[in-house]
Amino acid sequence: MIRNVRDLAKKWLEGKEVDAIFGLKEQDGYIAPYLFADASELDNLTISTEYRLCYTCRPPKENILALMQRREPNTKIGIVARGCEERALIELAKRGQVDLDKVKIMGIACTPEEAKECKCERPYPSNLVIGVKSPRVEGVSGDENINALLNKSLSERLEFWRHELSKCIKCYGCRNVCPMCFCKDCKMEQEVFSKTGWLPPEIPMFHFIRFYHISERCIGCGQCEKACPVDIPLLTIFRLLRRDVKDLFDYEAGMDVEQEAPLLTTLDEMPIKEEVPSGV
Amino acid sequence: MEYKNILTTCPYCGAGCNFYLQVLNGELVGVLPCKSHTVSQGKLCIKGWNASEFVTSKERLTRPLIKRHDDAEGNGSFVEASWDEALDTIAKKLKEYKEIDPDSIAVLSSAKCTNEENYLMMKFARAVLGTNNVDHCARLCHASTVVGLVQSFGSGAMTNSITELEDADCILVIGSNTAEQHPLIARYILRAKEKGAKLIVVDPRAITLTQFADYHLRQRPGTDVAVFNGFMNVILANGLEDKEFIKERTEGFEELKETVKNYTPEHVEKITGIPKDKLVAAATTYAKTEHASIVYSMGITQHTTGVDNVSSSANLAMLTGNVGKPSTGVNPLRGQNNVQGACDMGALPNVYSGYQSVTDEKMRAKFEDAWKTKLPQKLGLTVVEMMNEAAKGNVKAMYIMGENPMISDPDISHVREGLENLEFLAVQDIFLSETAQLADVVLPAASYAEKEGTFTSTERLVQMVRKAIEPPGESKADWEIICDLAKAMGSKEFEYKSPAEIMDEIASLTPSYAGIVYERLQRGGLQWPCPSKEHPGTPYLHKEKFARANGKGKFWGIEFKEPAELPDEEYPFILTTGRIIFHFHTGTMTRKTDLLNKEVPTGYVEINPKDAEKLALANGEFVSVQTRRGQIETKALITERVPEGVIFIPFHFAECAANVLTNPALDPVAKIPEYKVCAAKLQKSGGACPERYEILPLKQVQGCPERDSSLRSE
Repeated sequence: MIRNVRDLAKKWLEGKEVDAIFGLKEQDGYIAPYLFADASELDNLTISTEYRLCYTCRPPKENILALMQRREPNTKIGIVARGCEERALIELAKRGQVDLDKVKIMGIACTPEEAKECKCERPYPSNLVIGVKSPRVEGVSGDENINALLNKSLSERLEFWRHELSKCIKCYGCRNVCPMCFCKDCKMEQEVFSKTGWLPPEIPMFHFIRFYHISERCIGCGQCEKACPVDIPLLTIFRLLRRDVKDLFDYEAGMDVEQEAPLLTTLDEMPIKEEVPSGV
Repeated sequence: MEYKNILTTCPYCGAGCNFYLQVLNGELVGVLPCKSHTVSQGKLCIKGWNASEFVTSKERLTRPLIKRHDDAEGNGSFVEASWDEALDTIAKKLKEYKEIDPDSIAVLSSAKCTNEENYLMMKFARAVLGTNNVDHCARLCHASTVVGLVQSFGSGAMTNSITELEDADCILVIGSNTAEQHPLIARYILRAKEKGAKLIVVDPRAITLTQFADYHLRQRPGTDVAVFNGFMNVILANGLEDKEFIKERTEGFEELKETVKNYTPEHVEKITGIPKDKLVAAATTYAKTEHASIVYSMGITQHTTGVDNVSSSANLAMLTGNVGKPSTGVNPLRGQNNVQGACDMGALPNVYSGYQSVTDEKMRAKFEDAWKTKLPQKLGLTVVEMMNEAAKGNVKAMYIMGENPMISDPDISHVREGLENLEFLAVQDIFLSETAQLADVVLPAASYAEKEGTFTSTERLVQMVRKAIEPPGESKADWEIICDLAKAMGSKEFEYKSPAEIMDEIASLTPSYAGIVYERLQRGGLQWPCPSKEHPGTPYLHKEKFARANGKGKFWGIEFKEPAELPDEEYPFILTTGRIIFHFHTGTMTRKTDLLNKEVPTGYVEINPKDAEKLALANGEFVSVQTRRGQIETKALITERVPEGVIFIPFHFAECAANVLTNPALDPVAKIPEYKVCAAKLQKSGGACPERYEILPLKQVQGCPERDSSLRSE
């Protein structure tokens, strides 16, 4: 598969379809995002589930792709993107962060093993260019951890989360790796929502403010959980939130640039209670 | 357009996390964790995540500065100068003092700088200046570890590796607020806990880890030897010692046995305040588990009994056979990115690189041969001694690289007195620190992101630091500055083209680093001892024999001694100091980082609700804290994190610097100051009052306390 990716990247670069390829580069055994501007470098282009491309850079609090586009608006960038990365790009475009006209996506599929490791429900991009679609997994029913949690009583579940969140060392890593966390005035940093300067950060508000804020944006990449130094099972809560958003609003983040996000639309015009989500 | 990610090593604590610096068109735009790194595994703490911000601060030094004493006010202001002018000025001055008496010059090297730079700085002091007066802030944090573990085990470093903690059955954390000071090491303690390990926390304060502890023993500050002896008394009384290990691998057991027999749980309770049943239970748990690790840090080292505390921890580990196996050992956590390396490189007044003694004629001959010059024999001065001698006028000139003793050293008023009394002071740094402001010449240095080199983490792991961006203005890497200065002083032994070349020289002279070469490090770090180019490195020490000359570990019978200054009627509180997760040391880097300032913008004094009630203090109210050294004004933070009678002040904040107050009394051998205990008094200062008056006691839940917002949001 990597050979196909390199070949296509070379074709795009040499055919001037794009000015550069945004992908992962391997050097001395280490892998990291890199912008390939020269076809001769493509031997180092690699694919890996470990890194995503669209990180929010800090302190500018801007997505790396958005930064690139702002620095050089006329550069057309080809991106090697998995399903979750394509969803991130779509959601970022929907929210005015990146310009998809200046992007050409090379959608690649994840293997069934990769999908399982990431607990991914949709391990392929909508526009699949390379690889074979692994099956889509419906909902969260297959997740043993989630089922075990849902079988507990409400107070047990609260205790579970209280324990998990009490480990938090406030690194903000979950926010920092999230492609959808780009707010300049991040609410997690604000004293009014949760007390600053203390460990563990206020339970549950510090985390809940993010859970709420990201609920309908979450594209399910699981990077937050992987960035957590104390192993808080963040993907568990986000999978449940994604399920609820789907059930309540029939909405799934990152599917369609034109589809408006429910929390962006309903609050202004119409109170939520007047919405009658399908299937309720 | 160019976008790349440069892998490097974090410039904060000694955990040695790696991350990528994101570089877009030559500009630093952020930090990405490295998933394949052994310790950090794609995770970072808040400081690591924000480690790119101070690099691009507008306050960075970009040109050499020379202080003019002939300006209108006559009080000296800095003017920009060329490199030639600045280096000539320094070289001329240092030559003058060298001719009169080389020992009238003192040099501070830096635990923030690379191994190569520390090696060059100690070579510069010894070979060019002709003095062994070279030291650095390790003196202030783990000098007692180096001495204590050497006398017990023969090697003064962390015995095991960080990730091994995850598989320990019992972890004894004493004097380490691991979750705040070494967050990514706490990760492995928490993972061990989730796997069922027992966690024993011995700390006067209720630290973050105590939420998860099976036993939290709150000793009176400064009574650690009694705690260790109590543990060993219980173990021996119950026959839980590892008899075979003691017989085969150690010496001095009878002496230990004789000493600890007096430390019955009842007696220890009287000294430490730890209930005897709790002590017995914790000691029994430690002794009965298969793989027990001791983790410690400044809470036991920064005492006049620092060496005693460290050797006592070694006693306990040997008594139970918990050395020389994975997931066991005595694990000092080093506080700075390269404090281990700066020690390894011999930026110490008594040893060359690899702890080779300057008083050993064979060692000295080896270095004289390599450096083609005669070297001084007399032991040099330590950090605090340098300041004392400067105040007395015996040290006349100082050269300081990347350290800020004006905040970091004990009894700052005395430090200022010493530094101001110098006839000449040169400082190389990335910012105009409180110390640099006192200098006659300031040289602008490159930060970690702008140079190449290596750092050695707390687990003896030597790792690459890689250049991501160009240094600002005319600033240069510290190794280049030292070479330029040495050349300006006429030396021909500083002709290095790159840090790799310096490492080759280090490897040729330092047995524990003999196998270390850049080519190998590019694919990952190596843990010393690494004696040959084929050697894979050493994850844990003392496997078959100890590093002492006869191969045995040595027990030391150590009696408990009280701290140098105890509370009395006039100064009724015990003041203890330390770091917090959101800031680092003297704040030179973290206080230039927006998010960290948002979390904690200034200092405070933690005080127990019962004590606050007696003083009729409200949370957030300004108080004056006084000791026999000085006084500061700061805000009261009322919390059960500290026990009654104890107050705690973080030392990062220049405007309310804890080290105005601390006691410069030294451990007699390691010369480490007693930052962790001194006597203090506290009173309402009548300064500006917070907006909210609250009558105490304040109800608090441990781990998630109420906290007055006025404390941090001004």
